[in-house]
Formats: sequence, structure tokens, C-alpha cells
Amino acid sequence: MRGRVGESLVVLLAIILMAACAKPSTQVVLMPDANGRVGSLEVRNAQGRQHLDQARQSVQVVGKDQGPGLPEVLSEARIRVDFGSALAAQPKPPLHFLIQFETGSTTLTQGSKPVIGEILQAIRERLPLDVSVVGHTDTSGSDDLNNTLARQRAEAVAKLLVEAGADPTILEISSHGKAVPLIPTGDQVAEPRNRRVEVTVR
Amino acid sequence: MRLREWQAGLLAFLFLGLPLSGGEGEAVGSLRTLQGPVFLVRGGVERTLTRPERLFEGDVLRTGAGGSLGLLLKDDTSISLGPGSRLSLDHFRFAPAQGRLGLVVRLVHGTMAFVSGLVAKLSPESVRVETPVATVGVRGTTFLVKAEEQ
Repeated sequence: MRGRVGESLVVLLAIILMAACAKPSTQVVLMPDANGRVGSLEVRNAQGRQHLDQARQSVQVVGKDQGPGLPEVLSEARIRVDFGSALAAQPKPPLHFLIQFETGSTTLTQGSKPVIGEILQAIRERLPLDVSVVGHTDTSGSDDLNNTLARQRAEAVAKLLVEAGADPTILEISSHGKAVPLIPTGDQVAEPRNRRVEVTVR
Repeated sequence: MRLREWQAGLLAFLFLGLPLSGGEGEAVGSLRTLQGPVFLVRGGVERTLTRPERLFEGDVLRTGAGGSLGLLLKDDTSISLGPGSRLSLDHFRFAPAQGRLGLVVRLVHGTMAFVSGLVAKLSPESVRVETPVATVGVRGTTFLVKAEEQ
């Protein structure tokens, strides 16, 4: 399992259309992600732009005829007032499961076999409407052959999930080819860890 | 002989590449949390939602007083709305193998929490959050942030 959300940027964004204020306005607040890491944002319109790269840094735009104002760092308490409800409604982060295969085959490695049961458990708990079953390749060899194998592997995993009791209508099988490596490499690099199927339960 | 509606739709789909009708085609994600008054506008028709369902490009989500919702897109982007909000899912493409990536949402009014997903990681320049007065460009992971800075 891999927490991609942990790598992601958390952005908190709001518009406050105040009844008392004639002009529409927008406030944008950059928040640290689940790992505490802080990404970056650009807020722009026709009049200008501002870059945000600090935790709880905020910028306000009032009307289309003015550019974004100067950034300021907001207190957590102030953020709670405006954004508490939106934050409380955040879905649980998706669950990621990694399945690996014997070289060149659609046979799961011994270590990956128990993952099927873990996925079933997650499906029972979350009752997802869509579960992605995605084959990935490394950058070695021909794209066509790699994609075919990645897709066959994804189909093999989907079959195991259905046999174990998953509803086939929620499974979405695809191949992302070499576009989303687990371990970034150059082109034409054999990297067994990148030849995998990832299952995402949302 | 007049074409039946589905035949006309099928012809439009085959020859013009038009969607069969609003809300069909491939889902872009699904609602995961909802509380209080939550509405979905699809194909110009608004209805109340009481349980999670799949979402499609072009859908508009609205929360009433005390309402809130959370959704996950297929690239793991997470979006949640506070009360009195209106969000339009304008554009979503997530086909990394074909290099087709993009995400544009429009917050017309209200509050939103946004956690970027794989599209922002793979193609940060194709992710935008629009509001009536500004556009937010979302930069993804460390790796892609570095690529942007070069």
C-alpha cells in the first residue's frame, strides 16, 4: 500500500462572496499536505499573479479589475472559521495496493498473494463505487509488448478479485504503461519494481 | 422514417463524437461523503442527492445551508465543499499512457478543500481551479515542482 495523497499537495481554496461587498472576491490558502510537506500554488488573473509556497499562506483577490493582494500567513483558528466544514467533509484518502508478478508472467509473486484478501477487506469497509486496477510497466523493451503484459496482469488481478467476491461492475481495468513509474528511471531501464499492478480503493 | 432518440444518439456518438447524453460516458470519480442538503445538476436538471454516486465531466455540485460533500476523482484528486457552495467539474482527462491529462474545476461560490492527485503530479500545467475573479495553478509533487522551476 502506498499513500499517494502523502505526496500530494494540499490546497485549501475558497471564495467568499460577501453580501455586503459589491465585488466578488477569492481567497486562496496553501496548506501542508498529509506528510507536512508544503507544495506551491500560483494565483493569477488578468491584472497580476502571486506565488504561494508557505504553510497557511493566503492571498485575496477582490474583483477582476485588481490583481491578487500581498500574501499573508493565516492562523489555524482563522482557517477553521472559514474552512472547517469543507475540511471536515474531506474523503478518507484512497487506499493503494501494490501487486507484483513473476518475471514476464501473470502469476503473482508469493508475497503479493495475500494482498488480494486485503483489497477485498478494504472494499467491504469502504463500499467504493469505483476500484481502479491498473497495470504498469518499466521502460525496458517495446511499449506494445509492455502494455499488453501490463493489461493482462491487471485483468488477472481483476479475475482474482471477482473470484474472491468483488462486484465486477466496480472494477475498472486499465494500463498506464510506463507513464507512472514507482521508481523513476531513464528510458530503456529494466526495473522489476515498476512492473506491477496497483489497485486503488476509494 | 424517423430516427428513434437512441438511434439518433448512437449516430451522433459514432459520427460526431458527441456524448450519448449528459451523464454518460466514463465516470470521472465518485462522491464519498455527503451531509445535509446536496444537489447535483446534470444535463440542466437539478436533483437532491442522498447517497454517494458516480460523477461525470460537466456535473455541477451544489451544497445548501449546512450541506457539505467530499469526492474523489480517478487520479486521487480529493475535493470537498462546505455549505453554500457550487462547483462545476468542467474538464477531466486521466489517460497517462496516451499522454491525455487535465483537470479544470470551477468554484462559483462557497468553500472548497482540494488535494491534488496524479494529474497534477504528471502534468501540473494542465490543472486549474477557476473562480469568478481568479485562476489557481496547482503545482504537484516535489518532482514536478522541480521540473516547473527549470
